Amino acid sequence: MGPFRGHAEGAGLIAAGTQSGSQSPREPDVRLWSLFWVFFRVGLFTIGGGLAMATVIRHELVLRRRWVTDAEFMQEMSLATLVPGAIAVNIAHIQGRRLRGGPGSVVAVLGTVLPSFFTILFIALFALPYFEHPVVAAFLRGCAVAVAGQLAFTAFVFARTHLRGAANVAVCLITLVVLAVFGVHPVVAMALAGALGYLLSDDRFKPTGLDTAPD
Amino acid sequence: MAALLQLFASFALIGLGAYGGGLVTIPLIQHEVVTVRGWLAAEEMSQLLAVAQMTPGPIAINGATFVGYRVAGIPGAVVSTVAVLLPSLLILAVLVRIVDRIAGSRHVGRVRGGLQIGVLSLILFAVWSYGAVVVTGWWEFALAAGAFGVLVATEGKVQPALVILGCGVLGVALF
Repeated sequence: MGPFRGHAEGAGLIAAGTQSGSQSPREPDVRLWSLFWVFFRVGLFTIGGGLAMATVIRHELVLRRRWVTDAEFMQEMSLATLVPGAIAVNIAHIQGRRLRGGPGSVVAVLGTVLPSFFTILFIALFALPYFEHPVVAAFLRGCAVAVAGQLAFTAFVFARTHLRGAANVAVCLITLVVLAVFGVHPVVAMALAGALGYLLSDDRFKPTGLDTAPD
Repeated sequence: MAALLQLFASFALIGLGAYGGGLVTIPLIQHEVVTVRGWLAAEEMSQLLAVAQMTPGPIAINGATFVGYRVAGIPGAVVSTVAVLLPSLLILAVLVRIVDRIAGSRHVGRVRGGLQIGVLSLILFAVWSYGAVVVTGWWEFALAAGAFGVLVATEGKVQPALVILGCGVLGVALF
């Protein structure tokens, strides 16, 4: 068996900090196909991106199938938000690896990604020509305007959660000025914000899980 | 071939910068696709985002597939989608082995706090730059404000896709 197969090794590393990692009473026997199927369904039926998908994945893995305990899931959720990239894909990667090692992470990621890939491809292939039609264009314009409102709402939620204290406000304003006035690449601005956060914070930032990335 | 390499580079960069997932990807895609490469006009970009928000799946994947297809057909769609996934897959593959040492680290916590604020700046900037493209009149402003109001009033519990769909229907009536 590969080095990461099964619960004892792959998951033990991840969950070593929790009580559940040391003594694992269950040995979930998860087939690759069912792993793929679970994530495929989540990918196909969940609209609203990252966090909405995280909620559904938790429901499937923790509550419905009991492959993973809630404590394990929440800890790994934190890791999923710690790295860049789509949160749902990160969760699929981590949980696939926990349950079936390397092959598990491959099928879980594929399961998450393929539905949106084919949906978009389908739209691009067959619906794109109609985007110029006046009614469709007006519909899409209304939708696009709503996305602006949704962005503003996300900013509102983020600000309410994270914009506490002078240091945070300073980091936010400096990054905003660098973005808007100097027009640096967003990736550079993110690196700057990380560095500023490190220099200015007095450990008031706490690593948190679910509440860090409204989407 | 050159187009595929450019797509790969752009979307790998977008995947790397998409910290916090979802809507954070919007300013990144907009910067790379509209400002840097000029692959889509700002108007097309807003259509793409509307479609990406209404279809299932992470917006980073939806955006990569859509733009990749527009630029270089199906090979472009595949290359962009793989590229946007690659940074996080590689980083996670490394981190998952040492997560116990880093997850509780104060240093990581501090950098992360800064990154979260950076995400806020990025989104605020996107509200401004994206809003300037789509909000072209008072009706648009009222519609955007209405969507914002509904989401705030319901604490985001109403499905975002429904709000977007509703605004689309209103758009047909208004525009």
